[in-house]
Amino acid sequence: MKIIVCMKQVPVKDSLLKITDDGSWVHETDLNYEINESDHYALEEALRLKEAHSGEVVLLSMGPERVREAIKQGLAKGADRAIHIDNSSFTTQDPFVNARVLAAAIKREEFDLVLSGLQTDDYGSAQTGVILAENLGVPSATIVMEIQKQNGGIKVKRELESGWFQWVELPLPSLLTIQSGINQIRYATIKGIMMAKKKEIKALGLSELGLSESDVEEGQTGLVFSKIYVPEKTKKTEIFEGDPREVAQKLADKLKNEAKVI
Amino acid sequence: MTNNSFVKALFAGSIEQDLIFPYPKMDKEEEENLKLILDTVRQFAKDNIDSVAIDRDETIPKEVLQGLAEIGLFGMSIPEEYGGSGFSTTAYNRVFEEIGSIDGSLAVTLGGHQSIGLKALLLHGTEEQKKKYLPKLASGEWIAAFALTEPGAGSDAAGIQSLAVKDVQKGHYVLNGSKIWITNGGIADFFTVFAKTPVGESGEKKISALAVTRDMEGFSSGKEERKLGIHGSSTTELIFDNIKVPVENLIGPEGKGFKVAMEVLNSGRLGLAAGCAGGIKTLIRMSVDHAKNRKQFNTPIAEFEMIQGKITKMVVDVFVLESMVYLTTGLIDRGDIDYSIESSICKVYASEAVWNAVNEAMQIAGGIGYSKEYPYERALRDARINLIFEGTNEVLRAFIALAGMQEHGEYLKKVGKALQHPLNEMGVLTDYALHRIKKRVATERLADVHEALKNEVGKFEEYAKELHLATEKVLSKYRKQIIHREFILNRLADMTIDLYAMIAVISRVDSLLKEKGEKKTHKQLTICKTFCEEAWRRIRRNARQVDNNIDPWRKEISTDACEANGYQFDWVD
Ligand SMILES: Cc1cc2nc3c(=O)[nH]c(=O)nc-3n(C[C@H](O)[C@H](O)[C@H](O)COP(=O)(O)OP(=O)(O)OC[C@H]3O[C@@H](n4cnc5c(N)ncnc54)[C@H](O)[C@@H]3O)c2cc1C
Repeated sequence: MKIIVCMKQVPVKDSLLKITDDGSWVHETDLNYEINESDHYALEEALRLKEAHSGEVVLLSMGPERVREAIKQGLAKGADRAIHIDNSSFTTQDPFVNARVLAAAIKREEFDLVLSGLQTDDYGSAQTGVILAENLGVPSATIVMEIQKQNGGIKVKRELESGWFQWVELPLPSLLTIQSGINQIRYATIKGIMMAKKKEIKALGLSELGLSESDVEEGQTGLVFSKIYVPEKTKKTEIFEGDPREVAQKLADKLKNEAKVI
Repeated sequence: MTNNSFVKALFAGSIEQDLIFPYPKMDKEEEENLKLILDTVRQFAKDNIDSVAIDRDETIPKEVLQGLAEIGLFGMSIPEEYGGSGFSTTAYNRVFEEIGSIDGSLAVTLGGHQSIGLKALLLHGTEEQKKKYLPKLASGEWIAAFALTEPGAGSDAAGIQSLAVKDVQKGHYVLNGSKIWITNGGIADFFTVFAKTPVGESGEKKISALAVTRDMEGFSSGKEERKLGIHGSSTTELIFDNIKVPVENLIGPEGKGFKVAMEVLNSGRLGLAAGCAGGIKTLIRMSVDHAKNRKQFNTPIAEFEMIQGKITKMVVDVFVLESMVYLTTGLIDRGDIDYSIESSICKVYASEAVWNAVNEAMQIAGGIGYSKEYPYERALRDARINLIFEGTNEVLRAFIALAGMQEHGEYLKKVGKALQHPLNEMGVLTDYALHRIKKRVATERLADVHEALKNEVGKFEEYAKELHLATEKVLSKYRKQIIHREFILNRLADMTIDLYAMIAVISRVDSLLKEKGEKKTHKQLTICKTFCEEAWRRIRRNARQVDNNIDPWRKEISTDACEANGYQFDWVD
């Protein structure tokens, strides 16, 4: 099985984000980056499928030079090779545009399965994967929790709401977006890390992908980021006074019906 | 061991600048790999290591050790052909530092395994021995231990009594005796055991190193020692009852075991120092977090200068320590050098710095620092061992001074003064003969150091000379008796430690300045200047009173107390 895993580098969770003066994005220079959480699980799932059914795992990552670190981490864990699309010249936050670029890279490869994380921790739009599937012209399933290989295809378990699940069958090739927490992610081993240097990381630019500037132009889909801001605080504190019994009752009521936490 | 030692040369009055400048730098690829490895270690620790449980249950769970072994942390220093990763000394110590920042018990366990347990095999093992044991040790299937200390021989390790008598016909040694305080004693399968062996015609008993395995008949380990800290590490007695150790298990030449042990400890001390650096970094994180958040008098306590002084000392200490440790490891990676004094310096500095750091971190934490609910008291208990094992700081200070002095003695001989008998009674002194006597120390200068460090360089040159002169002074006065003048040795050792620390930070910051410019190195420069200011004043004080006339009083007071079996001046009679 040949599997392509899409992996994005995102700012480390709990980073202190500073918004740029024009409110268009955050200052990136002081940030540390890590592999997007659900992408970790996608990679792990790919490695397990490869171990069970043999084949190849290819990492695909778009981003500036720094994403090579994430790529190396993925290679250290066991991916066979990687493709790096340096997007420094055309960074966009538009999932449609990004999916188009990723698709151009994937189309150069033969593949049975494309795995991506369910969503990225920076935007959480959960769009790129599904748009990518459309671009590739393959079926897709989202929020996947389990993958079983069958004759000629796969069967996957999807997470629905309120503890409901759904099993779906798909032919190959297809694309799945993977939910976090579905497997036990392995650690990169020292051996793996040292072997990673021998693995190929192919760098691709727009021209190699057969794309032009206009293909990646910002705003072409109508999606515009008008402003980024820190959520305004609307917090209010309520203090209950009086008989402890009544107060406890009131508190329980609020927690249940207003805060909806119990 | 070869002849290059910066500190030894310093005693002899020469500044071997080429050894120290430029500050060693790791190649880019190795550094990238190292980063990834550190990420893995951190992530693993975050997911799996529960220091509270390790301390409480007095053991490190098997799965944790197994997980670390799977990552490859048991074979970092073992060459790839034997199943390890063949790390450079620098990379090994940097990873070890990370382990030290995570958990003391774990650091001691892993250090006992590879910093000392299997090190003799790496240094002196035969091809067969390496093939036989290293793959198992690299994979973590087996854990190693280093067994030198005995009931009657701690600091005076040359006095061990364990005896291995060779039976030539049967092709084995018969080993009898016991060891105490052996790290990993209860969990190891491979032991580097030091025992006396009758050597040569005369049958003179000399120390040899033997590879002993748990499965040998007659081997047993005692129950776990109950300790102040590092509860998760195993420490036991070992008993050797007529063990038949095959002759091919001799590590290194017969009768040269003491040298083997010292070489192993030289490298072990660097690992220990690196681990302490990691510990201090963790303590700084905890202290800063608490000091910023705890308010008294409506002010975060981080804003009080007395608290700032504590944080500053921790930061400066760890910067200095890093500078020394990775200078030394860099020298080792660059080529054949004698780093026995340098690694002892790192060990002494590190263990005292981490002890200071736990003390101050606890103080910054206030009442909660003393509570079992918080990690400070565990950190304090775990840190204390570093001043004791792998050579107590007292013994190492004596070694630093005497080994340096021996160098000076060689120097004096060379320049025609009489000092006929080098100080070799400590047993651990090397036979290095000075081969590069240059100009007199008074003219020794450091060349081409960055302008911003002019002042620090000047002080270093000045006080390097003071060390040389102070040594000359006490040596010509006390001659061989200097061995017994420990007040003096202590001061000389402290001067030496400060000098090596100074040159290490100067070299590191010099390289940073040249690479990144003054603006981007401003913070490191401030740390360097702060340390050097404090250091040269300490050196000056030690130099001025190197042969202090109140030493006899000090001696008298202690002797009196010993005679009186305690304190004799209670004002209530
Ligand atoms: C937890 C733990 C783990 C250990 N692990 C190992 C191990 O894995 N392998 C191993 O072989 N050993 C190990 N040791 C032993 C350790 O190295 C010794 O305890 C140490 O060397 C000190 O020896 P000692 O205990 O006999 O103390 P002593 O040598 O009796 O020293 C007592 C005091 O006298 C001082 N002193 C001794 N001689 C001098 C001198 N000439 N000048 C000034 N002061 C002096 C010492 O500094 C110390 O303060 C371990 C010890 C502990 C506690």
